Parts: sequence; C-alpha cells; structure tokens
Amino acid sequence: MSGLRRWLLWSFVGGVLFVGLFAPLLANDVPLIASVDGRLQFPAFADLIGDAPPGPNDLSWKTWWSRLDSADANDGGEDWAFMPPWPYGPLETDTMRFRAGPTFAHPFGNDDTGRDVLARVVHGARTAVSLGLPAVLIAAVLGTLLGAWAGLRGGLVDTFVQRLIELFLCFPTMLFLLFAAAFFGSSALALTSVMAALFWISFARIVRGEMLSLRERDFVLVARGLGVSTFRIVVRHLLPQVISQVGVTAAFCLAAAVVAESTLSFLGVGPNAESSWGTMLRQGSEQATIGAWHLWFFPSVAIVSFVVACHLLADRLRRREVTTA
Amino acid sequence: MHRWLLTRLLWSLVTLLGVTFVTFFVLECSPVDRAQLETVKAQSSGSFDDVEQRNEAIRQLRVRYGMIDAKTGEPLPVWDRYTAWLGNALTLQLAGPGEDHEVFWRRLAAALPVTLLLGGLALTIAVGLGLPVGTWLGRQAGRKRERVASTAMLVALGIPEFLLATMLLLVFSVVWLQWFPATGLRSNGSERWLFVWQVLDFAHHLVLPVLVISIGPFVMVTRFVRDAVARAATAPFAASMHALGIDARVVRRRLLRHGATPVATLAGGLLPMLVGGSIVVENLFALDGLGHLAFEAVLAQDQAMVMALVVLTSIVTLVALLVSDVLHRLVDARVRLTGGTA
Repeated sequence: MSGLRRWLLWSFVGGVLFVGLFAPLLANDVPLIASVDGRLQFPAFADLIGDAPPGPNDLSWKTWWSRLDSADANDGGEDWAFMPPWPYGPLETDTMRFRAGPTFAHPFGNDDTGRDVLARVVHGARTAVSLGLPAVLIAAVLGTLLGAWAGLRGGLVDTFVQRLIELFLCFPTMLFLLFAAAFFGSSALALTSVMAALFWISFARIVRGEMLSLRERDFVLVARGLGVSTFRIVVRHLLPQVISQVGVTAAFCLAAAVVAESTLSFLGVGPNAESSWGTMLRQGSEQATIGAWHLWFFPSVAIVSFVVACHLLADRLRRREVTTA
Repeated sequence: MHRWLLTRLLWSLVTLLGVTFVTFFVLECSPVDRAQLETVKAQSSGSFDDVEQRNEAIRQLRVRYGMIDAKTGEPLPVWDRYTAWLGNALTLQLAGPGEDHEVFWRRLAAALPVTLLLGGLALTIAVGLGLPVGTWLGRQAGRKRERVASTAMLVALGIPEFLLATMLLLVFSVVWLQWFPATGLRSNGSERWLFVWQVLDFAHHLVLPVLVISIGPFVMVTRFVRDAVARAATAPFAASMHALGIDARVVRRRLLRHGATPVATLAGGLLPMLVGGSIVVENLFALDGLGHLAFEAVLAQDQAMVMALVVLTSIVTLVALLVSDVLHRLVDARVRLTGGTA
C-alpha cells in the first residue's frame, strides 16, 4: 500500500498521543506565559508546579486577558499574555452558549453547561493516553522480559511463567477493571497497574513463542560458538527480531486500554479527570433525543478513529512481518 | 490422554486458587472500608448521635465482616481471612458474613441464565458465521475484496461495545426507528400471551443485545480462520491436490478443516471478552444478568459478591480452556501425537 497512507496512520496515532500528553498546553483557558506588572507567570504549567493560579487582580485569567487586548491598543501596556493554540479550557463554561451547535469560534460546539467540546475532546485524549500509555509500556517491558526468559531458559522457569499466564488469562479484563475502579476509588494509579497486570500476558505469550523458535536457529549457535555472552545474544540478536511483534501487540493493547478507559467512564466509574471521551458520550447520548448531535458525535469519532487507527497500524505491521519472514 | 487430562485438571484447580487469592488480596489492599461506608450511610439518615456509638457500630460491623478479631480488636492478617473465606467457599457458602445465603444464591441463580443465554447465542453466532466467512476470505486472500472486507471488520472491531450499543439504541429503539424494545427481556403483561407470541417477544428483545455482544467474537473468529485457511491454501498439499485434479469442493473441505482447528483453541479465549461485553450490554439494555450483578456489587462495595463472581467466571473460563484444549487434541492429530507444545 502507498506510503502516504502509512504516513497518515503513523501521524494520526502519534498526533493523538502528542495531543494527549500535552493537552493542558494545547487547550487551556489560562495563558502559557503571562507578564503581569513586570513579573513572568506560567499559569498553564500549574499542574506541574502544583500551585493553582488565581488571575491577576482577582480576575479570571480570561477576563484579564480579554481586557488586556483593548488596553494594549490604547497605551501599548507592558502586560502581555501568550495563550495556548486553543484558548478554551475543558471546564470553562460559557453561559451564553448552552448546547450551542458548531460555529467557527467553536467548531465542535458547546455542551449543556457551555463548555467547549473541542477542548473537552483534547483533554479526553489526555485522560485516555495518560492511563493507557504507561500501562502498555509497563506491560510491554514486563511481558517481553518474562516471555524471553521463559522461552530461552525453558524448564521450570517456562512452566512457571506459563502457569502465571494461564492465571491472568482467567481474569476477564472488564470485570476486573470495574472492581479495581470501584474498590480503589477510581484512582489513575490503580487503573494503570491493573491494566498493566492484565496486558503483560499478551506480550509474554508472543515473545515466548518467538524465542522458542529463534533459539534453535543456526545464528544463535554460531554466536555461542564464537563465545558471545548470553546477555549480548539476547539483547543484540534475539530481541530486535521480536520487536515488530511487540509493536503489533502494543498497538492492540493501546486500543484496548483506550476502550477500557472510555467504557469505565461511560459506566460512571472511570478515573477522576477533567474530561473523558466516555463521560462525554454518556452525557451526549442522554441529550441526543433533544437534537444536540454534536455532543455525542465528536467524542465517538475520536474514540473510533483512534482505536481503528491503532488496529490498522497493528495489522499493517503484522502483514509486513508475514510477507518479509 | 487420561494422565494428560488429570494433570491438566489439577493445574486448573491450582489456577483457580491463584485467581481467588489474587482477587482477595487486591480487594484487601483497597482503601475503601465497607464498615465505615455503611455507618456513614446510617448516620446520614440520623441513627447515630454521638461518636462513641458510631465507633462501636463500625467495630461491630468489622467483626461481622471478619475484618478484625472480635476479642482483641486487632486487624486479622490477610492470610487468615483468605483461608476463612476459602473454607466457606468450599462448602459453597459464598455469601458474606451476616448475609442470607438463600437470598445470595437466588440472586446468582436468577442472573446466571440471562448471561449464559446471551453469551451462548453470541458464541454460536460468532462461530457459526465466522467459520464460513473466514474460510471464504482465506481463499480470497490478497484479493481486493478480501482486503476491503478485512479492513471493514477491523473498523467494526474498533467500535467499542458501549458505543455500538448506544448508537443502535438511539437509531433502532429510541429516536428514529422504534423497531426494537430498549430494555428488558419481555414486554409488560406478556405472561398472558400465547406461548408462541411469548417466544417471539423474547427473541425480539434479544436482537440488539446479542448483535452488540457477538460482533467482537465474530470478527476474532473470522480473522483467525482467514489466517489459518490462507496459510493452508498456499501449503504444498493444497497445490498438489489441485495438480492431481481433485474436485475443488473436496479441497475446500480440507481447507475448512484447517480453519476449524484454531477455532477450537480460540473459543476458550473468547469467554473473557464475552464477560466484558455482557457487563456493558446488560447495563445499557437493563437486563438482569451477571454483568448487571457485578455492576451493582461494585457500586455497593459488596466484597462477597465480587469474589463469588470472580470464582464463577474463572471456573467458566477454565472449563472452556480445558474443553478447547481437549477439542484441539481431538481435531488435530499432530498435537495428540507430539504431546503438544503448549
């Protein structure tokens, strides 16, 4: 298939991850950098610094900023602000725009309390990515290491890892996530660890199977005969061969993590977050009967396109693997 | 075969124990204190006036739930509580302390058939449709229409169950076309109808939920079968059969057999997926199955019910894994003769 489509797929998935990781800097109602009375402030980075920013002179940042524009024209004042590319926050309400449809100023419209839907979709990506990405990374490292260990060592280690895999295979993912969400107060840490604990088996099974066949190959024997250390054989010669398989699994798991997060949020037991695609969908579907189509349409497009893009990416990697092997 | 089966059964039991222990331990680590939660609820309705009384009530509840020692008031170690739970579970007393076993079992017994019906129908549809469609796609592998169909299935797999269910509900039963009922399994007052009408009514209610649950497993089965058949179709034996001039229908049947083998192993792995699907679907369509029960248990922090559900689903999954392994050995002589790699 064409290189353009591959490029589009990679950049879409990468773009969503980027947006998710940097959401507060991309869509926010407070400035990235502001200069108030000669002092520099960084209100959008408050999450990192840990200090919630009140606006200057007890105004909200937005009010201050909007007044600033007109004042600037008059006296070229020394106060200035550098706003994020999308100057609306996920919780910022606009009382004039309850359930307003898409316009040029708000391309995705506003929800029932006047919050900008685009900003909420962007911050929903943040919730999904901040939960799913660490879970998949932990699972990939853990699963690859355990799978490689089991596949190479064989014997007792292999039996042990296989039993462990079978044990975790028994946990229905959704059920266990639901329990975790309820019994740990929907904390992001608990959900991430549970996801990692449920996803590592997919990596371990794939890597173990690959290692079983790879370790019998001649080049391993040659390397051994040349006196290459086992560690070096694994890191330099064996792991690079399974990396694309791990990538396939990671793409599938990322999609599964995003679906799991939005399902939990949809059921009302998701992580505590400013915005989530699942929560938006629940609220949107409740208001679909009164004609507010944009409330459910945009979050569902976000979920489906991201999940499908992950699946297509995985499928493409897998097909390439099949044809080159 | 007998010896293999026995070891396999034994390992399944060990796995079951492991699953219950992990779940129990994880629930123990939870910061949520059920006793405190209940007294808070009682307090808001005005039954506790002073702190002393409330603390005493919390203590009593903790003793009742087996969280602390009745005499010393020290928290019991996790291991003791797990063995206590296990002892009760072995005698099928899965209900929590101070709960009516009869009521507990009745809740489970009422919910089980609904979920079994949903899951069974979904599995039947997934395998019944996935096998022929997958075989067909496998023989077309590489052609344009196979690629289009495979991509379409990937997109279908990408739609989360809750989203699909919401859309179907909006389109077919709430907003536009009122073709299917939105909730429950029977219409009001259908008990007085003719039996035939009752069955039709039941089926009418099942269409949307079963459709939602079966899409995921169907796509999984189809993809599995497609890959297996595509691999077999390029194998030397298929080419030589063609070269020998054997009827295309016979070759097709041989290829189908290659497609059927992986399904035997896949069926066990599909069950956790079905359980997950049933949670979403039962909540959205208001069906009183295990998924609904799980959700209720979670909202009420009902540890006993959670444990019972985990045990139940693990047993079902383990049995399915066992059956699929046995099936695999029966269908595929290579596994039987070499002892299998798994």
